[in-house]
Order: sequence, then structure tokens, then C-alpha cells
Amino acid sequence: MSIPKVIGIEQEYALNIKGGDDLSAFHASCMLVNAYARKAGLREPGTSILWDYGHETPFRDIRGELFGRKSGRDITRKEDNLLINAILPNGARLYTDHTHPEYSTPECLSARQAAACDKAGELILGEALELAKEILPDLTINLFKNNIDHQGHSYGCHENYLMDAATHQDYFVHSPVKAQRTLIPFLVTRQIFAGSGKVGPSFQISQRADFMECLFGLDTMLKRPIINTRQEHHADSKRFRRLHLIVGDSNMCEFASILKLGTTQIVLQMMEDDFLTGDFSLRDPLRAIRQVSAKFDSDIELEDGRKTSAIDLQRRFLDFALQYSLKRDVAHVPEVEAILKDWSDVLDGLGNLKLSQDLDLEDDPSDLTRRLDWVLKLWLFNRYRRKKTLTWDHPQLKVLDLQYHNIDRDEGVFYSLQRRGLTESILRDAEIAAFVREPPSDTRAWFRGKCVQKFPGEVYLMNWEVVGFDHGDIHRMVPLLNPLKGTRDRFQQAFDQARNSRELLDIIGKLHS
Amino acid sequence: MAETRQTRQQHKKKKSSNEDESSLLDATTDKKKKLKQLDDFIEGVLQEAGEEFLEEFKQVEGQ
Repeated sequence: MSIPKVIGIEQEYALNIKGGDDLSAFHASCMLVNAYARKAGLREPGTSILWDYGHETPFRDIRGELFGRKSGRDITRKEDNLLINAILPNGARLYTDHTHPEYSTPECLSARQAAACDKAGELILGEALELAKEILPDLTINLFKNNIDHQGHSYGCHENYLMDAATHQDYFVHSPVKAQRTLIPFLVTRQIFAGSGKVGPSFQISQRADFMECLFGLDTMLKRPIINTRQEHHADSKRFRRLHLIVGDSNMCEFASILKLGTTQIVLQMMEDDFLTGDFSLRDPLRAIRQVSAKFDSDIELEDGRKTSAIDLQRRFLDFALQYSLKRDVAHVPEVEAILKDWSDVLDGLGNLKLSQDLDLEDDPSDLTRRLDWVLKLWLFNRYRRKKTLTWDHPQLKVLDLQYHNIDRDEGVFYSLQRRGLTESILRDAEIAAFVREPPSDTRAWFRGKCVQKFPGEVYLMNWEVVGFDHGDIHRMVPLLNPLKGTRDRFQQAFDQARNSRELLDIIGKLHS
Repeated sequence: MAETRQTRQQHKKKKSSNEDESSLLDATTDKKKKLKQLDDFIEGVLQEAGEEFLEEFKQVEGQ
């Protein structure tokens, strides 16, 4: 039975430093994290909220410990913990992960909200950059929301979806063939609207496709899987599981971001309700993901030997989703009608999109340039290729490719395009700005954020599923094992009434008794 | 009377057709202006960040 598809996005940012006397990327990242944390009041005397690594088990595989090491992450010293981490008043986590500043959004119920929170992360890091400039005026740091450095390295935009435990166990542990029939083909072909494009060797529609090396796996760096099997659910795992996907690209276009997240929510929900009864199996998904990335309308082979295209395969998913949307006994994903319409329009648009042999945009009747990152990039690169007679491997195109993802509103190429109305804005500025300071009101992120806002000096540790209060003689832990609870509706009054966290817990205790 | 109404309607159609053409021209001019601004911006980006930028951009492998 389907459950709401709570979403969280984890974005690793690329970091480029000029000046700074050999400041390392790790320390630059930590400086950004702490500059923002300080501004948010999280480094005041007596305030030191640690990230609780105790529930992180990156080496534990859902298929059993046979595939992974038994140990969890080493517990870091308090000083190192605070150097690396900040849990923010909006319920998000800002931290340094392998030298990359990483922003993990709070939990969101809708695709639109998740996309807005992801954009809020850009604004937060933008503020951090300005603060860093005040500390070290000779230092210039730029941040890029992308997935490749054009030197063979990749970093992720990970998506997390709440799933029903039984379905997750069935599809990814007991009967992975079910995932191979449904979710894997969906993810392989989703790049036709979700890909953010890159140059090399000519042009590809996806940044991450080349880096996928297996279908299921634990690793996220060396042998990247389409389905990550990390057993780290950050919730009551008897009821809930976290599907962790590392295959997706980072999107700058709001339309593409919302469509990527919303369509995935719908497909997962259909899986949970046993509605996705078709067999979409691909003969070789790892080959297909590269074929589609190299040519969006290429033929790919189904398991039964027939050929199809990514567009036609996505249409089949859409057909199921349209039927599913008619069901009355289901709590559909938020704005499902809009997502389905956009999905349909985009597939029609892709069906009419014409590229020349040399990848010139010959016809784009649906104006996908305004909506999809890869199409917008293709338009942009072709404009400058033609102007300057550049071949596809020219370094200037790689520079443009990277600068497209520069999050600086004045310097970034995407934002230059957006300012000139060349790309469609879906989210309102106020909508994004609200999520810089405030958590979503309808998930446990709200409770977490409010604890940080109201009682920062009393929280001693936190992670996605727990808040730990220091009450002097005793530590009191509040589990947040249900991502759908801890909402504003339930706890606003308690927070309004409580003068401190002891009172908060007393009020909550009375609410439950 | 009918003739006068017809003349008025034709005059209105011609006037609105002229307005349409005029706003189309404005939109085209506006787009050209934006594209010119974009071109100048991109030129600035490419001058600022040359091949050295590409070399310096090397990242640590992430997840």
C-alpha cells in the first residue's frame, strides 16, 4: 500500500578557489559551513549541535552484511564534528563531504517543495560565499551545482524517497527482478527530460550516465549503482525505507527538477500499489543509459529483443500513471495533474525535437530550450560553436558547461539566461526564500528546524531521526522515526507555549498521554 | 449606416493589425537586445575563465 513519497535531495557542490594561500578545498568548504552556521547563531557560546553519526551505516547493505563492512562511520571528535557540520534552522544539513560542501534539504512532501528547498540551498551557500569574502577578501571561491569536473571525476545529486518497507524489501532484496522490470528502465530513460547535459566527446544529455557501473550496489564512489542498496533508512525501518538514488543529474532548470522528482514519486507509488504491471525490462540497462545519454532518441533494446526509444518507454510509464491517477482510493502525490500534463507535454516535445547530424537544434516546436537543462545547454553551445567556429571538444565549451552551473547569481551562465527570460521560471522568489529560513511545515523537518531555531543552546546532538537535548543531569532523546510526523499542525502550539526544551518535552508528553 | 459600421470595423481591424505588427516588432527587438546582452556576458565569462580555469577546476571524487 502506497505511502506519501517524502523527498530529500543531497547536493555535493564543486568548489573552485582563487587566492587563499593554498587553502585546501576541505578547509574552504568547512569555512563556508561555519561562516553560515555563525550567521545562523549556531556558533554562539553554549551552542554546539553535533551531528549524530551513530545512525549512519554507509557500509551496511540492505541485502545483508555479506556485501559490506560491518562497521559504521567512525565517531568524530566534537571539534571535528562542528568543523564539518551544521544543522540549520530550516531543518537542512550543511556539511563538508569529501571536500565538497554538501547541502541536504529538509524532508519535503512535494516535488515542487523539494525543488524550492534545493534552490534555497543555493541561496544559503551564496550567503556563505559572501561571508567568506568578508573574512578573507583576497580569496575567491566559486561553487558549482553540477556532477563532473571534465577531468574524470564525478560527484552527486542524490535523491531520497520514502518507501513502504514491504515494497522496498520486495523490489530491492527479495525480488530485484521487479526493480529491473520497472524502476531501473524508468531511471535509465528519465534523463531525456532530467539530464543536465555535458560536452564530451561531442555532447551528451546526462552528466552521470557514464559513471553508472552496476545495477545494484553499496558503493557510491567506485562502482556506482543505479539503485543504491545502502541500509540506512533514517526512520522506523519496520514501516519505512529510504530509497537512495545516485543516478540523477543536478538540475538548474526548475521545470526539469520538478518533473524529475514528481515523475519518480509517481512511479514509486505505482510500484507500492502493485499498479505498474508492465514489463519494461531492458536487455542491458548499463548500455542503454549510455546510448540514451549519447543520443536522446536512440534505439535501445528491450529484454525480449525488441527495439524501442527512451521517449516511447517513458510514454508507457506515463500511460500507466494516467490510469493510476484516476484511482480514487489513493492519496496521490501533490500536484499530480500538473506533473502528468508536463510529463506528457515534454514527451510530445521530445518527439518533435529535431537535431542535425552535428547536434544543431533544427526544430524545437515545444520550446524545450526553456524547460530542460540539456536542451538549453545544447542551444547555448551551438550558438557559440557557430559564432566562433568551435569543434565540440574545444575547451571554451567545457568552460561554458561548467559556468552554466555556477550558483553566483551575477556570474553563473544559467542565471544570466534566466535573467533574460530565456528559461522558464516556475518557482517564485519568495517561495525559495522562505525555505532559506524555515523548514517545510508538513514533515519531521519542521520539528527539527524549530528545535534549532528556538532552543539551539539546549540541543546537543541531532540527525535526521533524532533530536538529543542536554538537560544537565540527563540527556533526553526525541526520536523522529516517522518522517510524516513532527509537523507544524501537531506541534506549533507546544513550541509557542514552551519557554525551554524541558517544558517542550513536558507539553509533548501530556499531548501523548 | 451599414457601410459606416463596416468602414469602422475595417478601420479597427487595420488599427489592431498595425498594433500586432508593432508589438511583434518590439518583441523581436527586445529578444535581439537580450541575445546581444547574453553574447556580451558569455564573452566576458570566456575571457575571465580560460584554460587555466579548467585545469584548476579538478575536484575530488565525490559520491
